[in-house]
Amino acid sequence: MSYAYLFKYIIIGDTGVGKSCLLLQFTDKRFQPVHDLTIGVEFGARMITIDNKPIKLQIWDTAGQESFRSITRSYYRGAAGALLVYDITRRETFNHLASWLEDARQHANANMTIMLIGNKSDLAHRRAVSTEEGEQFAKENGLIFMEASAKTAQNVEEAFINTAGTIYKKIQDGVFDVSNESYGIKVGYGGIPGPSGGKDGSASQAGGCCS
Amino acid sequence: MPSSSGELSADLENNRRFSDLRGVQWRIDLGILPSSSSTVDDLRRVTANSRRSYAALRRKLLTNRLISKDESNFRGLVMDNPLSQNPDSMWGRFFHKAELEKMVDQDLSRLYPEHGSYFQTTGCQGVLRRILLLWCIRYPNYGYRQGMHELLAPLLYVLQADLERLSEVRKQYQDYFTDNFDGLSFNDDTDLSYKSDLGKGEDNTGIQKDEINDNYLDPKIQTIISFSDAYGAEGELGIVLSEKFMEHDAYSMFDALMNGDRGAVAMANFFSHSPSTQNGLPPVIEASSALYHLLSIVDLSLYTHLVELGVEPQYFALRWFRVLFGREFALEDLLVVWDEIFALDNNKLRGSSENESEVTFWILNSSRGAFISSLAVSMILYLRSSLLATENATSCLQRLLNFPADVNLGKLIEKAKSIMNLATDAINSIPEPIHSGGPYEAGKPKVHGHGHSRSLSSDVAAAASLVPESYWEEKWRVLNTEEDRKQVGLSKQVQNRIKGWSEKVKMLTKVSRSPVTRNLVDDIARSEKNEKLVSGNGGGEEENSSIFSDPVSPRGLASSNNMTNNNDHENETDRSSVASNSPVNENNPCLGPSPSPSITSERYCSTEDIGSPLPVSDVPEEDLFLKEVKNEDIIRKPMLNLRDRRSGKFQWLWMFSKTGPEGSSDKSEPTTSYVTDFNQKNAVPSSTTADETEKPEVVDNNNLKNLAQSMLENIEVIESVENLSKDTLEALKELRKISNLLSEM
Repeated sequence: MSYAYLFKYIIIGDTGVGKSCLLLQFTDKRFQPVHDLTIGVEFGARMITIDNKPIKLQIWDTAGQESFRSITRSYYRGAAGALLVYDITRRETFNHLASWLEDARQHANANMTIMLIGNKSDLAHRRAVSTEEGEQFAKENGLIFMEASAKTAQNVEEAFINTAGTIYKKIQDGVFDVSNESYGIKVGYGGIPGPSGGKDGSASQAGGCCS
Repeated sequence: MPSSSGELSADLENNRRFSDLRGVQWRIDLGILPSSSSTVDDLRRVTANSRRSYAALRRKLLTNRLISKDESNFRGLVMDNPLSQNPDSMWGRFFHKAELEKMVDQDLSRLYPEHGSYFQTTGCQGVLRRILLLWCIRYPNYGYRQGMHELLAPLLYVLQADLERLSEVRKQYQDYFTDNFDGLSFNDDTDLSYKSDLGKGEDNTGIQKDEINDNYLDPKIQTIISFSDAYGAEGELGIVLSEKFMEHDAYSMFDALMNGDRGAVAMANFFSHSPSTQNGLPPVIEASSALYHLLSIVDLSLYTHLVELGVEPQYFALRWFRVLFGREFALEDLLVVWDEIFALDNNKLRGSSENESEVTFWILNSSRGAFISSLAVSMILYLRSSLLATENATSCLQRLLNFPADVNLGKLIEKAKSIMNLATDAINSIPEPIHSGGPYEAGKPKVHGHGHSRSLSSDVAAAASLVPESYWEEKWRVLNTEEDRKQVGLSKQVQNRIKGWSEKVKMLTKVSRSPVTRNLVDDIARSEKNEKLVSGNGGGEEENSSIFSDPVSPRGLASSNNMTNNNDHENETDRSSVASNSPVNENNPCLGPSPSPSITSERYCSTEDIGSPLPVSDVPEEDLFLKEVKNEDIIRKPMLNLRDRRSGKFQWLWMFSKTGPEGSSDKSEPTTSYVTDFNQKNAVPSSTTADETEKPEVVDNNNLKNLAQSMLENIEVIESVENLSKDTLEALKELRKISNLLSEM
C-alpha cells in the first residue's frame, strides 16, 4: 500500500506502564489484560491518514526495565516520534519521566516529537498522579500531553495520530529535511507529487521505483 | 573435544536411561548431578548435597532480615534508621529487597499467561519468587533482570513433569496390584521385582541378574522407582525425584544455567550490560555479532541483505539469547530445544585463562555455545525467503520476532547441527574489523547498498587454494573493506545473451529443487538485483508499494494472480499489526516495477518461491544430489573439454542439473511452462515465474562467475558436514574444479 510518509515511533517508559498494551490497542484494537513483558523490543505498524495523506507508522515498543537501557539506546536512532508513557496509578513511573526524557534527548534527534501519555486513566479511583501534574510536566518540557487508557481505548488513537499530526506539521513548516533519514521520516510514493518524491534520495534505495 | 568415545557412549546410555526423566537428564547435563555410570547412590549423595547448600543459602540470605533486625538494637540508630541513605544499612538493604520483591512479583504475575494453570498458582509463584530473589541477592552484580524468570520457569516445569511421570508409574503399578494379577500387560513376577526393589533400597538401577530372565521390568521403571525411594543413601534428602525439594533442585539448575558451570556459555552474561573486558561490548551484543558473523559465513547474501537494511542483530538476538529462545517457541517445543542445547558440552574449546583474549567470540567457544548460535542462524535461514522479500528493517524484525509456530523443529535443529562446525571454526577466523565495523558500532551498516561487494577474483583465488578458513577470512575482509570495485566492472559488462539466458534459467529452476543449488539461483538473482541497484534505478525501499505501476504487465496467469495476492498481503501488513507473519510471498520485491535491466528481482522472486517451503537444507537430499552427479559421470567429461567447448556449457549445465536432455530451446517460453509446473507440484503459491523469463536481456559472464562463486560457497558448506563418505569428498573435489573452470569462463 502506498503512503506519503513513513514515521518511526518509539514507545518508552517504565516497565508495566502499559506500553505494549497501548500499541496493541492501536494496531489491533484490542486489550490484553496480561501482556507478556517485552524483552528488548517489539514492533507494530499501522496506516493512518492525515490531511488526506496516507501515513504509515512503524512503532518500536521497547522494554521498560532499566537493565535494557544501556543496550537498547540505539532504538532511538531515526525515530520521528516518541510516546513517553507513565502509569497514573504508580507515582514512581511519573517520577522517572525526567530520566527517560534525558535519555531521549541524548540519543534521539533533537526534532523528535514527544508525546507524554498518562496511561490507565480508567483506573481513576487509584490515581496517584493528577492530570494537572502531567500537564505541568509536559508544559515545562515542551511535550504534548494526554491521558489515555489502553483498556478502554480512550485517547489511544488520538495519542498516536496527534503525534503524527505534529510531525506532519513540522514537515510542512520545513523543520525537517525529509531526505535525511535520521529524522525518522521516509517519503513514500503515494500522496506526494512527482518532484518532491523524486528528489528524495533516501526513498530510492531499493526495490521499485517512484514512477 | 574433551569427550572420548567411551564417554560418548556412556552419555548415550545415560540419554536412554533418563530419556523420560527430563529433569534428571537436565540436572546431569547442567553439571549438578554426576554423569556417566554413576550409581543411584552417587546421584543421591550429590542431590542431597546440592539441596543442603540451597537450604543453607536460603537460611542465610532470605531470613537474615529478621536476624539483623534483632541485631540492630545493638548497633545504634545512626547507621540503621529508616531514613539512612547508606545502602549497606539494614534499612537500605530492606528497601532494596522490598523493591526487588516488587519487581519480581510484577514480572511473575505475567509469566506464561497461557500456562497460567500451573505457573500462576500461588505455590508455583512462591517457589519461583524465592529462587529468583535468592539468586539475585546472591549475585548482586546482576540483580534481577527481566527475562530471568523465563529461564527459570521451564526448569521448574520439567521437575514437575518428572514428578508427574513418577506418580503415573506408581499409579500404574498400584492398579496392577489392585487388579490382583489379572492384568495382561505384565507377567506375573513383575510385582515381585518391584517389591524387592523397594525393599532393597540401596539397589542400583541395574536389573538384578537373577531376575532378568523371568521377570523383566523396564529399566526405566526401575530407575524411576529407585529415584523415588526414601531408603537409599541420605534418606529422604536423597530422593532424586522429590516434590519436597523441587525448589532446591530448581535453584541449583537455575544457578548452573546462569553461571555456566565454568563453561563458555553462562546465561547470566546475556543479562550483563557491563562491557566485557576484551572489546568493550556488552556480552549480548558480542554474541549478536557472532551470530551475524556466522550468518555471513553460511549465507552471505542473506547477511548482506539484512545489513543493508540496517537490521542490527541485537534487535532480535537480545531476546533470543536472553531467554534462550523461550519466546520463540511454544513451551513443549522449547523443552526439546533445550534438550539439544543442554546435551552439548559447555567446556571451553580453547583458551585457558592466559590466551582467552584470542577468542573473538566467547559464545562460540563451546559446543553448546556454537549450537546456540547455529540454531539462531538456522532460524534466520528458516525465514530466509520472507526476509529477502522484505525491503524494510522493521518488517524484517517483525518476522524475526514472530517466529512461525508451526515450524518443523526437527529440521531446524538438524540444520543448526550442520552449521555447528562452521561455528566452532569461526571462532578464531575473524579478523579485527568486526569490532569497529560490527553492526552494533556502525551507525549505518558498513556494507552499503551495492550488494555483493566482495571481489570475485580474490574469492575465487582463495577458494582455489582449497584452504577453507582463509577463504572465509578473505571473504570477510573483502566484505568489510571493498565496496564498489566489482560493481563498476559488472555494470560495464552487462550484455544481452538471450539464448544463454533462457537455457540457464531452465537449468537453474530445475536445479533449485536441491537446497544447495537453490542457493546458487538465489545468488545469481541477487547479484543481478544488485546490478540493478547499481545502475541507479532503485526506487523506494518501502515494501514495494509501487507494485501496481509495474511496467512489466503480468502476462502469465500465475503472475497476475500473484499480483492480487500480493496486494492483499500488503494491505494486511499495513493495517496491522504486531504479528505479521504471512506467507513468503508477501511484499515480494520482485514485483517492483523494474526499469530494465529488471529480470533480476523477478527471477529472484520466483526462485525464492520455489525454495520457500523450507529453506532449511536437507542433507540427505544433498547427498543424493551429489551421488547422482557422480553416477552420471558428468563431472569428468566436461572437465576435460570445458574450456574448448564453451558453446556447449549450458548443455552441460543442463545435464548437471539432472534434468535430462529436454532439448535446449532458444526461447524462453518452455522455461516458463516448466517453472509453473514445478510450482504446482510443490504447492507453492506460484509467483512471478511467468514474468521471469520475459525480459531475458541481462545475462553476462558475471553470472557464471557468480554461479561458480555460489557453487564454491555451497561446496564449503557441504564439506563442513561431518562423516562425508570418501566418494562424496571426491565428488566435492571435482565440483570445486568445475567451479573454478566456471569462474574462468
